[in-house]
Amino acid sequence: MEVTLLIQATDDAFQVMEKAKMQAVGILDTATRLTSETRTIQERKLKAIFKGAHESQSGFLNFVATFAILIIFWAVLSGKFDAFHMTLGILCSLVIAWLSHDLLFANVRIGDIRVIVQRFLIYIPWHLYQIFLSNFHVAYLALSPRMPIQPEIIRFKTKLESDISWVAFANSITLTPGTVTVDIEGNEFVVHALSKKVADDLNAGEMEDRIAHIFMEADHIYIQDVLDVSRIFSALK
Amino acid sequence: MDYFFAAVGLCLCMLVLLALYRVVFGPGIFNRVAAISAIGTKTLVILLIFGLLYQRIDMFIDISMVYALLNFIGCVAAAKYLESRQE
Amino acid sequence: MNGFAEMIIKTEDIIVKTIARILIPFIQLFSLYVIMHGHYSPGGGFQGGVIMGASLVLLFLTHGYEESKERMSEKAAILFSSTGVLIYSGIGLLCLLLLGNYLDYGRLSLILNVDLAHARSLGILGVEIGVGFAVMAVMFSIFLDISTGGIEPGEEKKNEKASTR
Repeated sequence: MEVTLLIQATDDAFQVMEKAKMQAVGILDTATRLTSETRTIQERKLKAIFKGAHESQSGFLNFVATFAILIIFWAVLSGKFDAFHMTLGILCSLVIAWLSHDLLFANVRIGDIRVIVQRFLIYIPWHLYQIFLSNFHVAYLALSPRMPIQPEIIRFKTKLESDISWVAFANSITLTPGTVTVDIEGNEFVVHALSKKVADDLNAGEMEDRIAHIFMEADHIYIQDVLDVSRIFSALK
Repeated sequence: MDYFFAAVGLCLCMLVLLALYRVVFGPGIFNRVAAISAIGTKTLVILLIFGLLYQRIDMFIDISMVYALLNFIGCVAAAKYLESRQE
Repeated sequence: MNGFAEMIIKTEDIIVKTIARILIPFIQLFSLYVIMHGHYSPGGGFQGGVIMGASLVLLFLTHGYEESKERMSEKAAILFSSTGVLIYSGIGLLCLLLLGNYLDYGRLSLILNVDLAHARSLGILGVEIGVGFAVMAVMFSIFLDISTGGIEPGEEKKNEKASTR
């Protein structure tokens, strides 16, 4: 009686595992398709970044946005709001927006501008706190009599995707005392770090995660996890 | 309050003197270029402190912005020239 | 020194390139602000022209020769400098034609229907704009001549082939 029950339970368990295997194969197919799509999108973005400011779609929208930003900048600079100076401001902003409208918004971003600005404003106090802590560490290194620095150059590949996030990350690294961005070669950051503790903080990747969170990047399905799950199921069969 | 700003200005002047040591004695050209760029940063804050002391801050903000711009462009130009000379 | 312009075309520097392309419209607007507010804060025609020329130099240094040639080629630089001098002496000549002295801006009130002080102010503004054009064009033109040595970066290979044959 117990043997029958055991055989029945084992049959049910195998059926459940068959169903799960089918579903895992389906997920694997979708993941492969999405990863190849992301890879082509990534390659296309990299090519667009290296070509520079030539690729810009919707020129008129760029012109209007540049004009609006320049008008606000003029109003901030010149505190006079009478008719003569405002007319001069509108004329000057028109001329400059016509000259350089394809410079400011060169790479079209996928993402909502309001969300990005809000997340950036939340990032700034955290970054200031990191600068404050690193100041103490570098001052301790510089002022102690035997100066225990271990300068080394770190290279790491980055998961960020567009040129503005690369620049934001490189500037954040350089602003923090103890690390200086030396170069960006292709997809790789070359950073000079002053001591082992600073290098470990950088390799942990918290700053990179936060910057990817600001610009809403690097949130794709990771193919390696799905491959591991499918391998486990095929080993269990 | 004026004495506080004047004291801050004097501390910055002493930091400029420290960077001036690297400009004069720096072994090689790269030390000198980096030190001049650092001196430019401090000069711009000293200009703003002058503006506060004379109570015409709006005039001195324009001057400081122009100086910051020219410092940046000079640094980029010097770096590009030195890189081309190394080849 | 032709290697300088060639080297700028070859190297790809993402950080400086991105920061320069975001900053350049603001630098150019600031230079126009300095020209227009010459009567109120430090500035005027020459200073604004220098800042505008410096922004064009930054564009040449970071983006190469092609990008800056689109916005101001050497021929356009020569035209702009002559236009600046034309505006300056043109306003003076206009005042002369209105039966005044040369550069006597008060006579401009006959055309513009404003009172004497406003006419003088507008005349000075016009002259400053002319000076700004001329200074911007000459700054960029001198920088191009010194850095490329008078030979455009694409042409020197043709010259070498022609001379070695």
